[in-house]
Amino acid sequence: MPGNKAIAHGARLARVEVVPAFPITPQTTIIEYISDFVADGKMKTEYIHTEGEHSCMAAALGASMTGARTFTATCSQGLAYMHEIVAQATSYRAPIVMAVANRTLGWYWSLGPDYSDIMPEMNLGWLVNFVETNQECLDMMLMNYKIAEDYRVLLPTMLSLDGFFLSYSQERVYMPDQEKVDAWLPPYKAPYSLDPTESDSWPAAGIPTQLHTTYRKIHEEVMEDSKKVIAEVDASFAKTFGRSYGGMVEKYRCDDADSLLVTMGSMTTAARRAVDKLRKEGENIGLLKLRFLRPFPNEELIELAEQVDSIGVVDRVVMHGTGGGMAFQDVKSTLYNTGIKVPVQNFIAGLGGEDIPIDDLYAMGKKTLSARTVRPVNPVHYIEHKFPGMPAPQKTNSSTCMHPGSDGCAGCGASIIARTLLNTLGEKTIVVNPPNCSGVNYGQSVKTPWVLANFAAGAAFQTGVYRALKAKGKERQVYTTSYAGDGGTYDIGLQALSGAAERGESIIWLCYDNEAYMNTGIQRSGSTPQFAATSTTPVGSVWKGKSQRRKNMLMIMAAHRIPYIATASLAYIPDLKRKIQKAMEVTRNGEGLAYLQVHQPCTTGWYYDPSKTVEIGRLAVQTGAWPIAEIDHGEFKLNIKPKELKPVKEYLDPQRRFRHLDTELVEIIQGHIQDDWDSYLSMDAQGKLPWY
Amino acid sequence: MVQDKSVIKGIVLSDLKNMGGKYVANWRVFKPEINLDECIACGLCTTYCPEAAIDPREDKKPVIDYRFCKGCGVCANECPKTAIAMKKEDEE
Repeated sequence: MPGNKAIAHGARLARVEVVPAFPITPQTTIIEYISDFVADGKMKTEYIHTEGEHSCMAAALGASMTGARTFTATCSQGLAYMHEIVAQATSYRAPIVMAVANRTLGWYWSLGPDYSDIMPEMNLGWLVNFVETNQECLDMMLMNYKIAEDYRVLLPTMLSLDGFFLSYSQERVYMPDQEKVDAWLPPYKAPYSLDPTESDSWPAAGIPTQLHTTYRKIHEEVMEDSKKVIAEVDASFAKTFGRSYGGMVEKYRCDDADSLLVTMGSMTTAARRAVDKLRKEGENIGLLKLRFLRPFPNEELIELAEQVDSIGVVDRVVMHGTGGGMAFQDVKSTLYNTGIKVPVQNFIAGLGGEDIPIDDLYAMGKKTLSARTVRPVNPVHYIEHKFPGMPAPQKTNSSTCMHPGSDGCAGCGASIIARTLLNTLGEKTIVVNPPNCSGVNYGQSVKTPWVLANFAAGAAFQTGVYRALKAKGKERQVYTTSYAGDGGTYDIGLQALSGAAERGESIIWLCYDNEAYMNTGIQRSGSTPQFAATSTTPVGSVWKGKSQRRKNMLMIMAAHRIPYIATASLAYIPDLKRKIQKAMEVTRNGEGLAYLQVHQPCTTGWYYDPSKTVEIGRLAVQTGAWPIAEIDHGEFKLNIKPKELKPVKEYLDPQRRFRHLDTELVEIIQGHIQDDWDSYLSMDAQGKLPWY
Repeated sequence: MVQDKSVIKGIVLSDLKNMGGKYVANWRVFKPEINLDECIACGLCTTYCPEAAIDPREDKKPVIDYRFCKGCGVCANECPKTAIAMKKEDEE
């Protein structure tokens, strides 16, 4: 099974009680597997579909402090977004276990793994554990709870597994029996729960300034103490389940080694083979796998450093400004005051998810060995590879604002909306793009600047763009629009959008709404309609798709009294075009934010034939599932009023995300549509919304 | 302060001038073929082609640039005259 599935099984076997979840590649399948377990009644847990990672970590902390065994998972930008609460979890002493399926952070974007995401979290006081195999993923899930919940430790723990190399790769994993796990890992009993029926005291949020140094010192003692617990738990796990990993570190062929290669994570497997090869050639080289980086295994390192004549540290990350990698600095600083003067070299490799092949590790081993006799002048080596180059773009005569051809799915509707938007706005437009499919697929094929912004604050990014234009007197010459998905609008992006709307920023916010997080693989969003199956609201013996109704974003935006709000659909292009023109008019006049919400059927996420994209969009409007309306300076108008709504079944039937619906559930949906339609009709008759 | 672009190191740029179409014809299983005799030049296929692969000719009738067609079939589905047929690639 893949590493992410091993992690999910670990959470199931540990009988985790609360799982806050938010998708991000390559972590997503962890929370999807867990949702499958919960949907099918195989795991009894409170599953929280949070609206962003910041909330996800906050929910995890709240749950853990209230005494529940808590698990969550994230990586990369998501982990960075959690950062402040990650720090808070330390002094609250919440033994959360969080899987981090490593992926490059920020910088030039990549979905591939390196440790730039976990590096900034390293020194906040969590235990940080790196694993090499999928079996280790599962085993460490169990061990980490046993370590973290030990009252000598009581620290949150990050379980770092390399994205892709472990998260998605298949390996054989032995599954322990539930009874055995239950006997070995008893339920969590919080010493100081927030629950007043359990405890009268709880970890304080603040202490007097004079105590900070003291308590930081004590925290270091706790981290030191945890080393003993890690060793104990490893031994007890070995006794019960028959597998041992060595605790803080694992030594491979170190006994008579006079050179040492230091690795962590999945690269270690290739490093073992490189060491074997060098050994075969008569070289006495050994391998030290760092299993925990926090606390740092300084004793184990010093012991080996005394024995060897050279050390080479492989780092999948650069600590910018220090000239080298993360473990490199730790190794050097551990040795500096010991009097051991062994040369330490650093190999920076595998950044952005590039593979670290055996041959490269062999060469690193060779270089490490050569330092026994000649001390290297430059200790840091960047392992670079030749880039073959990108395929050249095709020449076209296309007169639209978008180049033809893309990486999008066949039959994708998002490009139809993007093209209509940009053709209407013209080339003097800046597109601000909170991460979504379109950024990946169309960001490189438009003829205007299209800039990737952040997921949680797209509207703030856009505000900055708009205000800079304003500062330079150009706000009437250049349009700024978003091209946001429903996640970046309804959920994680809502706070920034609400702020921009309330401040009256004259920007266009276009949400292309495909009713789930399609970019990470069809997870539920605040816009997902009731009963739709998504990968985090699957259909099982307990769950019947998403249980809640969707948010009414139209009314949320109307509550801001912004000048223009409209829904539209890709199936009604002239209507969409007119609305974009209206949005241009109000923003050009500096009247405030114009909000457009455009329905985009998604062939991949809704499971229908790709040729039906426009047809499904039309059916959504004709059945009343997606009413086409606008609120122009408070004047509510239903733009498309079919004489009679078609039965919603016609819209639902072609989509496999609704295939589990029985007559009763269809009736419920039909009832909601009729209620909404009636209230829209009455607003339409009334005209002006009373609060404008 | 030096503000000469030639001294800048290490910025990778997105450059509008270097962009162009992306070859996707190898995605295709079904190939749309337009019967121009039946075509009424309504422009719907151009509007709805997800790949922007259909452009109007001078007489407003459409022409498909097959380099950019994935064969999704939206054009055939939307054509009011059903003048676009989807033909299996290897049947040619």
